[in-house]
Amino acid sequence: MFKIARNLYEYRELVAELTRKDITVRYKQAYLGIAWAILRPLSLMLIFTLVKSFVGIDSGTIPYPILTFAALMPWVFFQDATTEGIGSVVKNAPLVRKIYFPREIFPLTAVTTKLVELGISSLILAALMLWYQMAPTVHFLWIPLIILYTLLVSMTISLMGAAVNVSYRDVGAALPIVISLLMYASPVIYPLQLVRDKLVTQQAAGEWSDLLYTIYTLNPLAGIIDSFQNVVLRGLPPDFSSMLPGMVLTAILLPLSYRFFKLEEAYFADVI
Amino acid sequence: MPIIEINHVSKEYRLGTLTSLKDSARNIARRLRRQPLTKRKPFEALHDIAFTIDQGEVVGIIGNNGAGKSTLLKLLANVTTPTSGTIAVRGKVAPLIEVGAGLVPDLTGRENVFLNATILGISKADIARKFDEIVGFSELEDFIDTPIKRYSSGMKIRLAFAIATSVDAEILIIDEVLAVGDLAFQRKCFERMENLIKGRGSTVLIVSHNIRQIERMCSRVILLDQGKVAADGRPLEIADLFYRRSNEKIESDHKKAQQGKVHKYSSGEIELASVELLNEQNQSIDSIPSGGALRVRVKFNVNKTLQRPEIVVGTHTTDFFYLSASSTALIEDRPDLDVGSHEVEYIVPSFPLVAGTYCVRFAIFDQYQRKIFTGETLKIFTVLPNSLEIRDAPMRRLYLPTQWRLDGVPHSSPMPASAEMAAS
Repeated sequence: MFKIARNLYEYRELVAELTRKDITVRYKQAYLGIAWAILRPLSLMLIFTLVKSFVGIDSGTIPYPILTFAALMPWVFFQDATTEGIGSVVKNAPLVRKIYFPREIFPLTAVTTKLVELGISSLILAALMLWYQMAPTVHFLWIPLIILYTLLVSMTISLMGAAVNVSYRDVGAALPIVISLLMYASPVIYPLQLVRDKLVTQQAAGEWSDLLYTIYTLNPLAGIIDSFQNVVLRGLPPDFSSMLPGMVLTAILLPLSYRFFKLEEAYFADVI
Repeated sequence: MPIIEINHVSKEYRLGTLTSLKDSARNIARRLRRQPLTKRKPFEALHDIAFTIDQGEVVGIIGNNGAGKSTLLKLLANVTTPTSGTIAVRGKVAPLIEVGAGLVPDLTGRENVFLNATILGISKADIARKFDEIVGFSELEDFIDTPIKRYSSGMKIRLAFAIATSVDAEILIIDEVLAVGDLAFQRKCFERMENLIKGRGSTVLIVSHNIRQIERMCSRVILLDQGKVAADGRPLEIADLFYRRSNEKIESDHKKAQQGKVHKYSSGEIELASVELLNEQNQSIDSIPSGGALRVRVKFNVNKTLQRPEIVVGTHTTDFFYLSASSTALIEDRPDLDVGSHEVEYIVPSFPLVAGTYCVRFAIFDQYQRKIFTGETLKIFTVLPNSLEIRDAPMRRLYLPTQWRLDGVPHSSPMPASAEMAAS
């Protein structure tokens, strides 16, 4: 743990430079520049709102567009960061072959650069809040922690995925699909409250209900999205009961994923 | 304490493609059933290498393609890990393995300087301090804010070289990057490299095929051959050894390539039996020393009596450049050749060609110049270099004993022992 931190500190300038590079390169020669970053969550929000008007999803007291936008923010961040993270080592193959520095810097920078887009979409969120006349509460202070947790979840998948992707490019192709499917198993289109009502309150699946709910919340994104909506829109602290299973899972998998990455790291230059 | 310590290091690569998913799954199944696994053939790029390098040494690593030079540098740069053995590197390593590995086309020259320098491990403060000097050296002042994808390839390389050589590190690793750009810039590069090496007292490892450059810059040279340390010592000696070995390899390659490529014509009146090279003891040989005697013996059978035929023996290079041809045409009393076997000897007391591979040709014409037999590459032989020759200028074909007058004082270039023997 200490060694990881020291490594990262030692290479902080490199991480900063690589992050800056990723961001600059992404928006160079694009006239709309960074505006593209917000187009996706915004358009998804509009589509979901349209769909919602046919299907009818109970969004509680919060207007649906802002509720789903608040879900899309951490979701899109997670999805983009992880996809980028998985491909990061292969994408930097010339560097991998020539120069040594701790290879986890690749997924790490890939994931952190996506914070920029997250920051920009938060401006849209602010505008939406203004529109719906919602005031920020003291629970906004939770946001950095929730984002950090999302980043760790993304790193868990990225480290493992990036390492396997070096040998089997299938991973780079398959994981983004899996992740985008994961969206439907996450409370993005619908609020977590709906799932909780069905399973915990109404016990819809009989004696299996509580177990099913735990399995559902093993997906860290379930807790993340719900908590993000809580602290931003509902003026409530994060709901730790919905976050716990996912947190435990991440706490177990992240070290394993990191270990795996470090073991494989030695062979990157040989097989990439 | 040595700054680099390499202990019985081997590095294997597996040949062929990466294991497919199917093979991996099959191997897992086999492992579960404790059956032997299917393995791909390993290729040993380095085999049991061991040496140490002290602080401040400038070490050149030479060897043929595939000798393991780049693998060794990669191991030292920690880009890859050895299959067995250990490597201890005490100090910061700056790898200049291939200039421009980290240049990003979309970024401007300025952005690339900062990015690439950071990748090479230069701190931000240092880059800022050295920035003007880097740009000045690369002669790109006017283009520094242009994305480098619009640079010419020479401009890119100049920039990359300037960045790479501004690294301050205890150990510099340089792989074939030395001379880049046009001639004027190449000279600048050399100077900068030499300053870098001599000025700082840092430990340097250079891989290059430019042996003269290695000889000039290094205090020690390691010769790798097929993944093993073949020699390790003073630059001159090792370079000589390397030249010798390279020549041998070129020759054996030539010989292989020439086999079956014999150009022959025969009218049927004679049949060639053998072409041999002989030494003074009448033993058949394949090589002569530079400046030594060349003695060729040709045996052939005549099927029909030939009246005063003309016999020609000559030499040519492996690429059919005719070097010499001597004919019996000028011998007035040359004999007729009866039916039966005959033997012709051709002797050059001192063969004046430099080290290399040469071939013998042989021809017979009848008295009216009608072609009866011609043959090329009938015998391939080697002229071996002598120790003096390696130190001499290579731009020549002929090896001639010379005399000099330097400021009126006569000097003669030393004759190699073998040539003296041949001459006496």
